[in-house]
Amino acid sequence: MTASAVGPIATNGVRIELKGRITAYTAAPIWRAALETLARNPDRPIIIDASRLEYADDVGIALLFDLIRCDRPATAKVEIRDLAPNLGVLVHAHNPADFAAPARGRSYPGIFEEVGRATMQQVAYAAQVADFVGECWVELRRAFAGRVRVNWGDVLDIATEAGANGVPVVLLIGFLMGVIIAFESGLVAKQFGAVIFVVNGVGFALLRELGPLMTAIVFAGRTGAAFAAQIGTQKVNEEVNAITTFGLSPIHFLVLPRLIAAILVVPLLTVLADVFGLFGAALVMLRFQIGFVQFYHQLLEAVTASDFILGIVKAAVFGLTIAAVGCERGLTTGAGATSVGLSTTSAVVTSIVLIIVIDGIFSIFTV
Amino acid sequence: MQMNSMRSSAGATTEAPPAVSVRNLRMGYGKRVLIDNASFDVRRGEIVVILGGSGSGKSSLMKNIIGLYEPMAGDILISGRSIVKARSKEKAELQRGLGVMYQSGALFGSLTVLENVRFPLDQFTDLALADKNLTARMLLHQVAMGYAESLMPAELSGGMLKRAGIARAMALGCDILLLDEPSAGLDPITGANLDQTILSLRKNLGFTFVVVTHELHSIFTIADRAIMLDPVSRSIIAEGNPADLRARSTDPRVQQFFNRVPDGASQTLGS
Repeated sequence: MTASAVGPIATNGVRIELKGRITAYTAAPIWRAALETLARNPDRPIIIDASRLEYADDVGIALLFDLIRCDRPATAKVEIRDLAPNLGVLVHAHNPADFAAPARGRSYPGIFEEVGRATMQQVAYAAQVADFVGECWVELRRAFAGRVRVNWGDVLDIATEAGANGVPVVLLIGFLMGVIIAFESGLVAKQFGAVIFVVNGVGFALLRELGPLMTAIVFAGRTGAAFAAQIGTQKVNEEVNAITTFGLSPIHFLVLPRLIAAILVVPLLTVLADVFGLFGAALVMLRFQIGFVQFYHQLLEAVTASDFILGIVKAAVFGLTIAAVGCERGLTTGAGATSVGLSTTSAVVTSIVLIIVIDGIFSIFTV
Repeated sequence: MQMNSMRSSAGATTEAPPAVSVRNLRMGYGKRVLIDNASFDVRRGEIVVILGGSGSGKSSLMKNIIGLYEPMAGDILISGRSIVKARSKEKAELQRGLGVMYQSGALFGSLTVLENVRFPLDQFTDLALADKNLTARMLLHQVAMGYAESLMPAELSGGMLKRAGIARAMALGCDILLLDEPSAGLDPITGANLDQTILSLRKNLGFTFVVVTHELHSIFTIADRAIMLDPVSRSIIAEGNPADLRARSTDPRVQQFFNRVPDGASQTLGS
């Protein structure tokens, strides 16, 4: 269909003939051959015979334009002959000067600029986080003091989605945690004839540490991420701006219900994880000849109510942290779909790191 | 003048199948029917504008034509081949022949404007990078976006996103272009330039355009034919040259649309 023929004309000119249709799919070899011809003949005039050129799409037009815009001496100009007027209009619609500079790509800053900018960003960000924490604190206090109206409908919706719909996965993880710890420690304890004390270990570990911790990690992955994505998308769609321009506080409208829902729901989920973890452990202990009743009595001896309460308090703090991080990351989302993804990832990672750190602090002060 | 000459030349090639042919189409979402029993052809080299109030199914009709949604009944032919019945490979081939600009531009957020326009060329051609860049930059200049080539989509305004979207839709040289509200949100000068670009591409390369738009000025400038949808009767209520429709149609809904009459005043139009 399309071909380019190159042959000498007159004494020193070079002739390039373009035939048929030049489209995005067929232009590559023609373009390459034509540019090579131009490069091989830097000081001879080039005649492009377009009399048999039937059609050129945007790529074909760009090809023709590329050939005539070349910077060559006056005696070696490129000239297109017999180009159909409809194509000529499109080729000559452009000004070569507009395309003289190379295409600009993304701008990458130098290392010092990058470090400086990142430092400034972190400083600004720390101030932003402090602001956010302060505002949340004020809102929460006013909400619990009954001085602001809390939209309990929203709280209930969020609690249902974050809590009730998360029950199956929390149950599964709790159960498996109980099974795994009981089994692993049971195998070791059996060698010393101390299988009964596995109940102490499992009860202590589940109620104080693993119940709240595993629930919080599941909650961070499930709900913290969802909070960041929801609020982030609302930010991208300018819904957050709309709330602000009504003179309302996004913290009150978007963040407060989520904080309250998380504080209520994570402890409840933790109770379920505890119960199912202990049940899983009790099932495993059957294999080590320890029955349910024996398990129950040993458990009551090993753990106290304060262990359980400590776990529940931890869970509430974890819930608050996860919800706050998720909402904060959502509200600081930039523009575009990519930034929603970044916020979501960052919400989960930050939440999990903070949960572990807070857990460490609890361990130090509650020995 | 221009339109007349195109129409007569389009008339001369009656052998070729229409660029887009919609036959007895019923479409909607779930059980909700938006348009029922709609049929029309878009001939090669024609600029057809789809009109209608908000919610009348203009954008959905376009997505049916592109093959993104499956119609409830009826058929849609692209250059004589059914995009409804096509299997995935054939469908992809048909879709590649359509240049589409979505309402919000639909640029890829992780690529610069230039990379976005170059994207189809990167995917489907063996062109050298410099050649692809030149093509993409020329397309961007055509929509007055040359100065923004290194920006990311997140840094653009709504109108700029649309213009870059149009440049990307044209990159593969598709001769059937579907534009969803191209001039909404553009300033009058850029909007007028865009109309001229559309007319120039049709005149010089014989491109076919299906344009969803509300802009009356743009409609009268570019459209050979207007197809008007109505959300209440869920059908095409008018079809024809927009100037003719405005001058001759007796349908109060058509008159109301073309004369920008607010709802309450439509009763008095007949007198």
